[in-house]
Amino acid sequence: MALYQYSWLILLSPLFAFAVIIFGTRMWDLATRRRVVAATAEHEAEEHGEVDGDFQLIHLKGPRGEDLVFEDIEDPKVPRLTPGARVSGYLSIVIMALACIYSWILLFNTAGVISIAPPLPAQGISLGQISYSWCQGSFCQGLTSYTVSFHLDNLAIAMMVVVTTVSLLVQFYSQGYMENSAGYARFFSYLSLFAFSMLMIVFAENFLVIFIGWELVGLSSYLLIGFWINKRAKPEEDRLSPASAAIEAFITNRVGDVGFLIGIMILFANTGTFNFNQLATAVTHMDKAVLTAAMILVFCGAIGKSAQVPLQVWLPPAMEGPTPVSALIHAATMVAAGVYMVSRTFLLFAAANPAAFQVVAWTGGITAIFAALIAIAQTDFKRVLAFSTISQLGYMFVGLGIAGNVYGPGPGMFHLFTHAFFKALLFLGAGSVLHSLHHAMHREVQDMRLMGGLAPKMPITAITWLIAVLAISGFPFFAGFFSKDTIIGLAYDNGYYALYIITLLTSGLTAFYMLRAYILAFGGKGGAWGGLWGGTYRGEGEPHESPLTITIPLVLLAIASIVAGYWFGFFSYIKPGAPNLSFSVILTDLKTWLTVAVSLVGLAWAYALYTRVELARINAVVQGNAVLRVLHRILLRKFYFDDLYDLLIRYVVLGISHIEQAFDTYIIDGIVNGIAQLVTGTGRDVRKVETGRVQAYMVGFFGGIAVLAILVFVLAVFVK
Amino acid sequence: MGLTLNHFLVLGAVLFCIGLYGALSKRNAVAVLMGIEIMLNAVNVTMVGFAFYNTVKPWSTYLTGQIFAIFIITVAAAEAAVALAMIISIYRKRNTVDVDEINMMKW
Amino acid sequence: MDLATLLFWIIAIVLVGSALLVVGLRNIVHSALALVVVFAMAAGIYLLLNAEFIAIVQILIYAGAVTVLILFALMLTRTSNLSTNSNPNNKQWWLGAIISALVCVGIIAAVTLSQYSTARAGNAPYPAYAPSHSACILPPNNVAYIGQLLYSPTCYSYVLPFEIASLVLLVAIVGAIVIGRED
Repeated sequence: MALYQYSWLILLSPLFAFAVIIFGTRMWDLATRRRVVAATAEHEAEEHGEVDGDFQLIHLKGPRGEDLVFEDIEDPKVPRLTPGARVSGYLSIVIMALACIYSWILLFNTAGVISIAPPLPAQGISLGQISYSWCQGSFCQGLTSYTVSFHLDNLAIAMMVVVTTVSLLVQFYSQGYMENSAGYARFFSYLSLFAFSMLMIVFAENFLVIFIGWELVGLSSYLLIGFWINKRAKPEEDRLSPASAAIEAFITNRVGDVGFLIGIMILFANTGTFNFNQLATAVTHMDKAVLTAAMILVFCGAIGKSAQVPLQVWLPPAMEGPTPVSALIHAATMVAAGVYMVSRTFLLFAAANPAAFQVVAWTGGITAIFAALIAIAQTDFKRVLAFSTISQLGYMFVGLGIAGNVYGPGPGMFHLFTHAFFKALLFLGAGSVLHSLHHAMHREVQDMRLMGGLAPKMPITAITWLIAVLAISGFPFFAGFFSKDTIIGLAYDNGYYALYIITLLTSGLTAFYMLRAYILAFGGKGGAWGGLWGGTYRGEGEPHESPLTITIPLVLLAIASIVAGYWFGFFSYIKPGAPNLSFSVILTDLKTWLTVAVSLVGLAWAYALYTRVELARINAVVQGNAVLRVLHRILLRKFYFDDLYDLLIRYVVLGISHIEQAFDTYIIDGIVNGIAQLVTGTGRDVRKVETGRVQAYMVGFFGGIAVLAILVFVLAVFVK
Repeated sequence: MGLTLNHFLVLGAVLFCIGLYGALSKRNAVAVLMGIEIMLNAVNVTMVGFAFYNTVKPWSTYLTGQIFAIFIITVAAAEAAVALAMIISIYRKRNTVDVDEINMMKW
Repeated sequence: MDLATLLFWIIAIVLVGSALLVVGLRNIVHSALALVVVFAMAAGIYLLLNAEFIAIVQILIYAGAVTVLILFALMLTRTSNLSTNSNPNNKQWWLGAIISALVCVGIIAAVTLSQYSTARAGNAPYPAYAPSHSACILPPNNVAYIGQLLYSPTCYSYVLPFEIASLVLLVAIVGAIVIGRED
């Protein structure tokens, strides 16, 4: 059992790495960095610059003589990394590697491959060494539920493996991608912070801890998306500045968190506990309608975090962050936190009305096809992948929603498991392409219309990308085939025919747009293998293959994309007693081959279109036809969701703010100032009584007597 | 009809109010003083009337009212002297005896 | 109507009429002269009320000294508008008229209609009174009686108020001189 008891090290070691980097090695890095002075065009810096003690003029002219000052301010570079920065990177990677190895050992042990410790009980083991209870004893009767406690069970181990593995590969990859960046140490510290936050969600035993982790991953995402602090927006490419994208991500997540928090509060108010295991038994005594409402609100948090409709707007702009960040956070792990949370609270959803699961499944289904439709019209390389992520997350929620009590959270989690690997591979491969294009064209290029035929120049990237494309399309015997088609088949088996049709169509669309992206980037008309390998290159310069630190993770992930699907014991690993995938059943089921057929149709259509016809001609045809042009416009503008939210905030939210500001200025301040004015004005008018003329005072005196006389007269005569 | 106390009291009341009108409405300070003198005379008439119709026995002509009237005359004379001295002094300073213009104690 | 009543009405009408003239005439010297008539008629009223001493004192002091004092003051404070109104009303004269009328009506109503009025029979407020000394006899005439009431050391008298009144006169003399000095 010692194996399990020390698993809290996996949780806290990235936090340790973060602290050491931020307070130690980064300070060392900043202290030893050579001070550089940016030369402007007026200084007419020479090619090699002049060295003057500690100062060195940076060469800031591009090869064609253009001014590179802006780019360097946007993405500050140092000529050489200091030892402090390198050690930051190594520290982070080593700790993550240790955590990864430990989690794989845990996985193999609990799955029965090796046997160091007995298997975990279904409830999991509570990690008491790092738990903290807010108040103990009879003194605080109502506060005993507020504990920070962590536990370990099979679901956590499965997720932990994904998180640590992808984190390790991304951190290793970042050594090459973020080379010579001035913020190298800061980047690794943020990556460690993110790993800690995500593991906090994984290890959480109650809603409080999961919420803390939830917000911390939001924070890490904000820090990482906005990593390039001074980078400008590019409105001509419809791109925000990273700072704006970071804010959008955080705020959209917060909007979902409102529902999350209210759901948690409702559950606590009715059951008196936050702990997942205790809640699972306590909610059976709750009123079902209230429980359903609470679970739908809790799901709102997942909608925000996992970028489902209607809160999906933050994920495409989040691509402004560095590509390793996109791979780690917005493909494999953070956005999967929503799926993990729903899996964790699966029993609570099951105890509520079927409506709760319906909400989950339909949200996922609508999101899936929504994002897939948008993705077929995008031209930005990372945006296609962003929408693909949104779509696949929709699949995961469909899987969770339709599984029912027999399968448990198995199918959804299985798709999360496999998706993490091939999506991370897709993003890291995209990063590799963008990295080499940046070097070739000396500016940041993400537009697929400027790529093409890159496969012969970047073979490893191309091959691994192709493997990932086939995996995500559900090509037989790759990872996605097993996970995605299971969900589609389950939809039909459990009677959700509408969702079946939706997921089937989305599968076809996914295959289409992924192969389209591949061909636009790596292939083209006139290439080998019928246009898949090479073709016309529409950009400038000479791109070449990326260094080993970038390609090694690609290869490892490609292997995982194929192999991960073959863990057939996943369902019973997550939920004991669930039926497992059976290879023979899959192969003989008609639905499987129907699904494969649909995705093959998608692949074939993309292949036929993009390897035969030039891009310009496709564009001309689309723009020429009125219907197609309108459809293209709607898809390009992402169904006008961004514009809708912009209008909403500009007119409704800001409108209400203006009204409230007017209320504050005129009514509240009006009352306060008005009272002061009243007093002042009254004083000013009342003091006019003092005229200084004695006769006026006498008038007052005798006037009073006259009034009294009248009064007495009236009373004496009439009142008696 | 015989004379009763009421006749003299009503006469005093009317005189008092005429004097009051003069004191309240006149602009010349001496005119105000004349109104005050009329008021004091009205009071005297009332007092002496009470002294005459006094019904206290056996000193049935007990003259408290007349004593009161003497003292009122005395004090009125003194007050008139002082008031006129003040008016003359103000006239020397401001060259006016218009009471509406002597309002330095206003707000 | 007997003689006393007739005389009363004549004197009262003249008295009220000249009082109205005092407040109504435009030339202030004319109203000062009407004031003399007021004082004289008031002395007549006192005579009707068996107060001879008070009547003479009224003529002496009011119609004599106070009138001369007022005329001197008028002389010394002449503004140059001899022809125009030298006894003007101020802006709120109507307010003064209303107030005076109300006060008048109030007092008259209180006196004549009220059941607690002193003038009503049976409402004498003072108890019977006996002299403090057997040597105090009722003086024969009004002057002697007033003299006894003012100065008598043995009978009931108002000596103390008398002394105080003399002090008031002293203060008034000194005060008038001080205020009226030119410097």
